[in-house]
Amino acid sequence: MNFFKTFKSDTWVKPYIKQYKGLLITALILGLLTSFCAAALMFTSGYTIDKAATHPINILLIYIPILLTRAFGIGRPVFKYIERLKSHNWVLRVTSDLRTRLYKTLESDASFFNEHHKTGDIMGLLSEDISHLQNLYLRTIFPAVISYLLTIIASIALGVFNRSFGFFVFLLLFLEVFLVPLVSVSIESARRAYQKSVKSDLYVQLTDNILGVDDWIISGRKVDFKNLTASNIQNLDRSQNKSKAFRRNRDFLLQLIFAAMVVCFLIFTNLTMTHNQEQANFVAAVVLAIFPLSDAIIPVSQGFEEWPTYRDSINRLNTIKPIPNNLPIQKELKPQNFKDISIENITFEYNSSSPILIKNFSQKIQHGEKLALLGPSGIGKTTILQLILGDLTPQQGQIKVNDLDISQIQVNREKIFSVLNQKPFLFNTTLLNNVRLGNEQKSDAEVKRAIDRVGLKDLVESLPDQYNTIVGENGSRFSGGEQERIALARILLQDAPVVLLDEPTVGLDPITENDLLETFFDVLKDKTIIWVTHHLQGINHVDHVVFMNSDKIEMEGSPKDLYKTNKHFQELYQMDQGL
Amino acid sequence: MIDKRLFRLPGTKKLLLMLAGLTLLQAFVVLFQGKYLAEALVNSWEQKSLQTIIYPMILFASAFILRHLFNLINTKIVENYASKTSETIRSKLLDKIYDAGPEMISDEGTGNLVTASLDGIDLVENYFKLIFTKLMNMSIIPPVLLIYIYTQNIASGITLTIIVPLVILFMIILGLAAQSKADAQYAQYTILSNHFLDALRGLPTLKMLGLSKRYAKNIYTVSDEYRRRTMNTLRIAILSTFALDWLTTLGIAILAVFLGLGLINNSFPLFPALVTLILAPEYFLPLRDFSNDYHATLNGKNALNSIFEILERPSAAKNETLKDFAWDENSKIDINKLQFKYNGVNEDEVSLDISKLKLTGYQKIGVIGKSGSGKTTLIRTIGGFLLPDQADISINGQKVSNFKQQNWQNKLTFLPQSPYLFSGTILENISFYRPNATLEQIKKAAESAGLEDFINSLSKGYETQIGEGGRGISGGQQQRIMLARAFLADDRHVLIFDEPTAHLDIETEYALKKPMEKLFKNHLVIFATHRLHWIKEMDYVIVMNDGIIAEQGTPEELSEHNGAFSQLIKNMRGDQL
Repeated sequence: MNFFKTFKSDTWVKPYIKQYKGLLITALILGLLTSFCAAALMFTSGYTIDKAATHPINILLIYIPILLTRAFGIGRPVFKYIERLKSHNWVLRVTSDLRTRLYKTLESDASFFNEHHKTGDIMGLLSEDISHLQNLYLRTIFPAVISYLLTIIASIALGVFNRSFGFFVFLLLFLEVFLVPLVSVSIESARRAYQKSVKSDLYVQLTDNILGVDDWIISGRKVDFKNLTASNIQNLDRSQNKSKAFRRNRDFLLQLIFAAMVVCFLIFTNLTMTHNQEQANFVAAVVLAIFPLSDAIIPVSQGFEEWPTYRDSINRLNTIKPIPNNLPIQKELKPQNFKDISIENITFEYNSSSPILIKNFSQKIQHGEKLALLGPSGIGKTTILQLILGDLTPQQGQIKVNDLDISQIQVNREKIFSVLNQKPFLFNTTLLNNVRLGNEQKSDAEVKRAIDRVGLKDLVESLPDQYNTIVGENGSRFSGGEQERIALARILLQDAPVVLLDEPTVGLDPITENDLLETFFDVLKDKTIIWVTHHLQGINHVDHVVFMNSDKIEMEGSPKDLYKTNKHFQELYQMDQGL
Repeated sequence: MIDKRLFRLPGTKKLLLMLAGLTLLQAFVVLFQGKYLAEALVNSWEQKSLQTIIYPMILFASAFILRHLFNLINTKIVENYASKTSETIRSKLLDKIYDAGPEMISDEGTGNLVTASLDGIDLVENYFKLIFTKLMNMSIIPPVLLIYIYTQNIASGITLTIIVPLVILFMIILGLAAQSKADAQYAQYTILSNHFLDALRGLPTLKMLGLSKRYAKNIYTVSDEYRRRTMNTLRIAILSTFALDWLTTLGIAILAVFLGLGLINNSFPLFPALVTLILAPEYFLPLRDFSNDYHATLNGKNALNSIFEILERPSAAKNETLKDFAWDENSKIDINKLQFKYNGVNEDEVSLDISKLKLTGYQKIGVIGKSGSGKTTLIRTIGGFLLPDQADISINGQKVSNFKQQNWQNKLTFLPQSPYLFSGTILENISFYRPNATLEQIKKAAESAGLEDFINSLSKGYETQIGEGGRGISGGQQQRIMLARAFLADDRHVLIFDEPTAHLDIETEYALKKPMEKLFKNHLVIFATHRLHWIKEMDYVIVMNDGIIAEQGTPEELSEHNGAFSQLIKNMRGDQL
């Protein structure tokens, strides 16, 4: 059964149950007490009334039940309140650990990002998985455990009076809290999986409808536009209606079993507790006490409904494994001692089944040199940057910094290399904090000076919160060009001798692009730069241009020489400049 | 509480009537369930034999079963209604997207619309359940029970009557307190709760900066801070549930005590006391059900609200139907006094004010300008995706006030900056404008666009899945597929291009130039670009600046003097080798 198989080799749920054991047990006991008080309230009220109806001579005889009635009446909501706080507290504590663990695991595996940067928002998925685990605890595990404990306690308590009746009630409760939930999960699992896949198809189709609406309108295919989603909507609807019908019938069945239980209690109390008045006074108490239990018992099946979602999350988290550190002995390289980078005849493929991406590529970059790397998209320009950084390892050849292999300087790599991407990542905090990430030692004044050097001073000081402006999710408060400048300021603080630029200006209009390139090459003039770019705007800033194609270096040289001697370069340059 | 627009949905009134009837029935079976249970218990208490309780017991069980059967029917009706209504709404939403189209999408955001039509509608279903089932239960079941309790025991009736307004008062006060506390922390709170995702997405950056190892500690600290704050808010937020619980259980406890004292004083027999005690929890149940889900279903209310807002957007198009015509070398369009203003959320969009513009025959018209000058707005207006607030337009002599005309749009091929490929095969994508084209014709179009080699290199050829979830293909090939689409639709003689090569590398662009020039023949071309070499292919240029036409004319005319055109070219070119 998939339920047990999921947990067999799991390391994301089981170990955490043990953690903060005290808090967990407190939460469970409080949950149990809540149900107990609810039942006891009805028990003592029933007894109070029955006893009072016998007109006892002394009012003190019902004084204790009255007191207990009040106590349980207050106890139930109080325990419930504390239980909810405790269980949330426990779950949130575990969440902090889970998050730290997920972060550390991903941190250990640089290649994870390379493999996954194409498959959509894997990070969003993983962080959602953690919230699914929260719900697994709060909505499924806690209520289920409490109902199991209740079942056991109630059956034993009844068994003390009458062993066979205790066993019989145990069977009925077992049906309610264990068998029905399990059967309903196994029936619904397949249907849920189907609904999930149809839903994700629908998601794609609706996105097609909306993002492609221009084309739909021009094509005049309104009927097709609407029919695109129709069959999936119908399938989803049909399946969801089945699920709903199943849920309705299941809940009805659970109520039927409960009704049977009440009837059994009525018969049992009538048969065994009517021998004298003192016993008979407990009849209503016993029967009424079981009604509040339905609150704890019936919803267990519902709590299991989301199981397929939880299972997917657990499985996904369990597939991520920390990567053991295989680095050779690390050497120290002081930034001021950086001399050159030599790429010696490297060959690289992602895996043996994919085609060889980079073949026998060599290049030597001297301190202070500016190199531009061009070539059609998908040719492996970004891969070369990753190889230079040591995030990827070539199958053949070697990359050296001075005379050290790149893998020998990984631990303090940020002292040698800084990187500026196409979409630099900005954290959703203040501008000042974002730039300071480059070097946390720097004072406010130095951070502000960096912001000034990249040409953002006037803009920032015109904002209401100035340097403390929150940059928004992914830096959305600022335009693309401004985001690049913020990231550049960060790099200035980092002050590494080598700067890798990975198409930082793609998607910007040429005027913004020109201004940005001017700034880049101005503030980074004493750095070594390797610049991946997609066209020839600003090519006059570099010393050396390398054009790659799928099997070799197509042409290379200083841009001025190439322009004079190479016809193809000339054509490209003229096209780019519109000459 | 209830959105009045709900009543306008088909079938709502009928549903309400049915539910009211059903709930009333349910109220009575709840009552009978309590009554016969009490009877059975009283008989047992009187130490009577099993025979005496069989009859009330059967009636109790029947009432109990009927109650849940009614509940089942009730749920079924509401769920059927909800799923039917959701479909109606979803279908209307799609119509709206098609009719009000791109302008609405830019106002509402793509994500919003997809979410509204998928997840939003699921939330709406929950909202229906709350409104229809739970609200109905709350307004019918307690009064019926209360009337019965009054007939049995007036004091209990009064106790139960008093508690309800108390409960509601407490819940409102505490609910407001929680709300204001949550509001005060909201901004900090969202940042904290998104911090983890932010850190995961920024992990590569942290790594580059050498901070990633140390940052793990930060993850824990922030997450723990989030826990602390959540707990602080939660303490108050769940107080309202606590108050409800506390007052209702205390109500039952007080009732039991009153009844006990009354019984001792011999004021009434056991039966009315017991039946009151049994019915008291049932009396509070609908209220508790309602408040438990109340916050969750508020989301549904908001979702429904935003869906209604979308549906109620005016479809501004005045539908003067442009009569069908053919675009040829003698056709012409005159645009006079065209004005357009965005009223959406996006402040960066540019408004337009065009006093005079003429498009004729198979002209090649370049639209240039720096970003934010209104190039895109202008060509999207001409494409009919945006409706001008005011304009005198004449297409081949026919007067219209906007370009959103079926008979104009079916002359167009539109190529945006990042083309949108549909999830489907390459074949389906190429034949998008002409779904009935033969394989022969499609192959010829693909050949003209230079796609042949690429498609032949794929193991599934034309049947290769692309678009979302399919094979990712490079930007250059995407544009070629769009070109093939245009080649195939040879009955469309107007090409509108919005910077189609802006994202491409120089060599890919170079390779694309030939098929594009071939496509230009026998077409009116309107081409927004900031890649300068295209200007050489144009025979007319419009220079946009701040939403107006700064200059227009042939490239030769414009480059002769130092006007907007020459200035722009100089700035775009930058320093040279």
